[in-house]
Amino acid sequence: MTKRQWLAKGLTLLMVAVLLLVTACSGGNQEAGTKAEGQNGEAGEKSGDSGSKAVKLSIMWWGPDARHEATMKVLDMYSKQHPGVTFTPEYLAWDGYWSKLPTLAASKSITDVLQMDAAYIKEYVGNGTLEDLSDIDLSGIVDPNVIENLKIDGKLYGIPLSQNAGGIAYNKEELEKHGIPLPHQNWTWDEYFDWAREARKKLPEGKYPIGDVTTWDGYQYYQAAYGKGDIMADGGKTFSLDKELFLKFFNTYAEFRKEKIVPPAEQAAAFQENDPQADPMASGVLMTTGKTTGSVSVMETLMPGKVDVVNSPTGPDGGGWAQSTIFLSVSSNSKHKQEAKDFVRWFITDKEAGQVLRLTRGIPINPDIYAELEASLEPKDKLGKKLYDVSVEKALPFFSSAAGYTEWVDAFEAEMENVVYGKQSVEQAYEKINQLGQDLAAKAASK
Amino acid sequence: MRGDGIGVNKVVVSKTSLLTRLSRKKKVNSYENNLAGYVFISPWLIGFLLLTVWPVTQSFYLSFTDYPLLADPVWVGVENYTKIFTKDPLFGKSLAVTFSFVLLSVPLKLFFSLMVAMLLNKSLKGMSLYRTAIYFPSLIGGSIAVSVLWRNMFDLNGYINQVLAWFGIQGVGWITNPSTALGTLVLLNAWQFGSTMVIFLAGLKQIPQELYESASVDGAGKFRKFLNITLPMLSPVVFFNLVLGVIGSFQTFTSAFIITKGGPIHSTYMYALFLYEKAFKHYQMGYASALAWILLAIVASLTAINFLVSRYWVFYETDGGKK
Repeated sequence: MTKRQWLAKGLTLLMVAVLLLVTACSGGNQEAGTKAEGQNGEAGEKSGDSGSKAVKLSIMWWGPDARHEATMKVLDMYSKQHPGVTFTPEYLAWDGYWSKLPTLAASKSITDVLQMDAAYIKEYVGNGTLEDLSDIDLSGIVDPNVIENLKIDGKLYGIPLSQNAGGIAYNKEELEKHGIPLPHQNWTWDEYFDWAREARKKLPEGKYPIGDVTTWDGYQYYQAAYGKGDIMADGGKTFSLDKELFLKFFNTYAEFRKEKIVPPAEQAAAFQENDPQADPMASGVLMTTGKTTGSVSVMETLMPGKVDVVNSPTGPDGGGWAQSTIFLSVSSNSKHKQEAKDFVRWFITDKEAGQVLRLTRGIPINPDIYAELEASLEPKDKLGKKLYDVSVEKALPFFSSAAGYTEWVDAFEAEMENVVYGKQSVEQAYEKINQLGQDLAAKAASK
Repeated sequence: MRGDGIGVNKVVVSKTSLLTRLSRKKKVNSYENNLAGYVFISPWLIGFLLLTVWPVTQSFYLSFTDYPLLADPVWVGVENYTKIFTKDPLFGKSLAVTFSFVLLSVPLKLFFSLMVAMLLNKSLKGMSLYRTAIYFPSLIGGSIAVSVLWRNMFDLNGYINQVLAWFGIQGVGWITNPSTALGTLVLLNAWQFGSTMVIFLAGLKQIPQELYESASVDGAGKFRKFLNITLPMLSPVVFFNLVLGVIGSFQTFTSAFIITKGGPIHSTYMYALFLYEKAFKHYQMGYASALAWILLAIVASLTAINFLVSRYWVFYETDGGKK
């Protein structure tokens, strides 16, 4: 071969080699990139001593539009009060948020500040994704008992934003119209079921007193109310699904399906929450529906003046739940931890911010801020507060699925759907659900 | 004459030497040309290597690991594959759903789009307007918006049932009834016939008119002409659409995800949805990677079978009519 040929060949090979290198090192390059950024950040902090501090905090949250708008305003407000601190916000809906967050966690690129939920926080703490926030001084802002309850292994990983509770909203107007007694506070599960049976007799066809249950958390509070506790305890190492209670609970619903006390499966599957036409309660089909402090205000908007609330049915150990479920956390990979911590504290402390955020994340955790808002509360906000107030006395802990149990959560619903559509008995469903749970617990315990 | 002959030979010789010289020069050039070529396509080449080859290799590695996304992957050998094939009832279920979806929707779509293409192949006044009008919905194709529209149409209180109610018929909840849910998705797939139809139309235009004319002279009817001229002449196009259709419907995701969420009772639980839920809902990335490689194997072998079988029914004019 001629020299030229060699040269040409060599160049081609070189190209390929470069391509391979670029490919193989893409991960490494990225790291280098973040490192460089980190150095910049440090440089920024250092120059901060001399007065001008340029920090860009990334922040991510989920929620409805009203929450997005209020939060964006508040971020601007913070940037004005703290020159040099700017934000890269990102906001999504619930489903998208929890699809995106694990991929960010996997690539160690979670935002500096992020909204967290009680249903997931244990999973993220378990993997070291979240920064310990115990050293943030919250005295006079958040009730120390609340903080103590939220600690995981003695450390605080999320600053609570609001008080939240789960209870039942009911169509007051319609129940009164048909001469059905209204639910009373602290009703028991037996009273709840009997009330449904009685209401059936007085309601016209096509209307149903209560909804069907196919999800694990729908049943969890029943089991806990009767003293059988958490299905997934010890971080998922102990699994206990009480057979007797399970059969009693779901056989009651099987009876209700026959008696038309709950709507047929086909209709229930077409429900779409908060859709004016397809919402189970706003469409006039269901008389009661499970709601939280944060979500009940939509009902008031959809059917103004017709809705009232009561706490979840109770057993000897209590019923429903009432506690903080939404938090702001800081990423353990953040390059600006101090700035992030300052921001999350400010978020629940600043009164001006509180006026803008209002109840977009539930009842503000900071009593001072709530007190200022109280006078100007709208009926929809008051309903959320009432739901919290009626629930707090008998409240059970908020149950979340343990790390690694999302598969089981889906399987629970799928097996119960098979029961609803008449493909299998309650007992068959129990066996399968219990078996999968035991397998997962064994797997978790062996780790 | 003789002199001429020598002359010709000479010319031939000199031509060959020129050719060899040219080709030698060309050889040298070809490397340079190649290099220039690589440089020109490098944006795509780099994109392909970085965004396709690299993730694919990575997913192959991950398919042998337990990777819960929030923690690092742990090598588990073929455990994912054994679990999929022996212990996971949803694997069989989702495959069954996907196969019935493919078997129903692909022939339906081919038939439907061929019929529409034949209609649009007639020479009528304003035909281009019709073509545009009929192709137009395909531009918004398999999008989220169409899926949402479909849900509103086939819901228990949807438009379909409202229209049925005018005639006193009580419709079922098409997408919430396990026996009809998959059907609505098949219909949606068949309705998105635009691009298939355009390819058919192009194929139809390629068929020489003389064939039809001579068949008419021989007294062949319309159906006869379709069966003995249109179909054989169009068979390579049918084959092309079939292969693409099978591959596409195996990966159906959006409609199942938006309209039915895989339900009720897993009656529309497409394989792609199963894979997605494993990866992004249950955070089992290793398991999902294994599922993806199984899907690749299935689609690849089905395509291979399609190619093998095509020998018996696809007709290429260039092969002199040999099948």
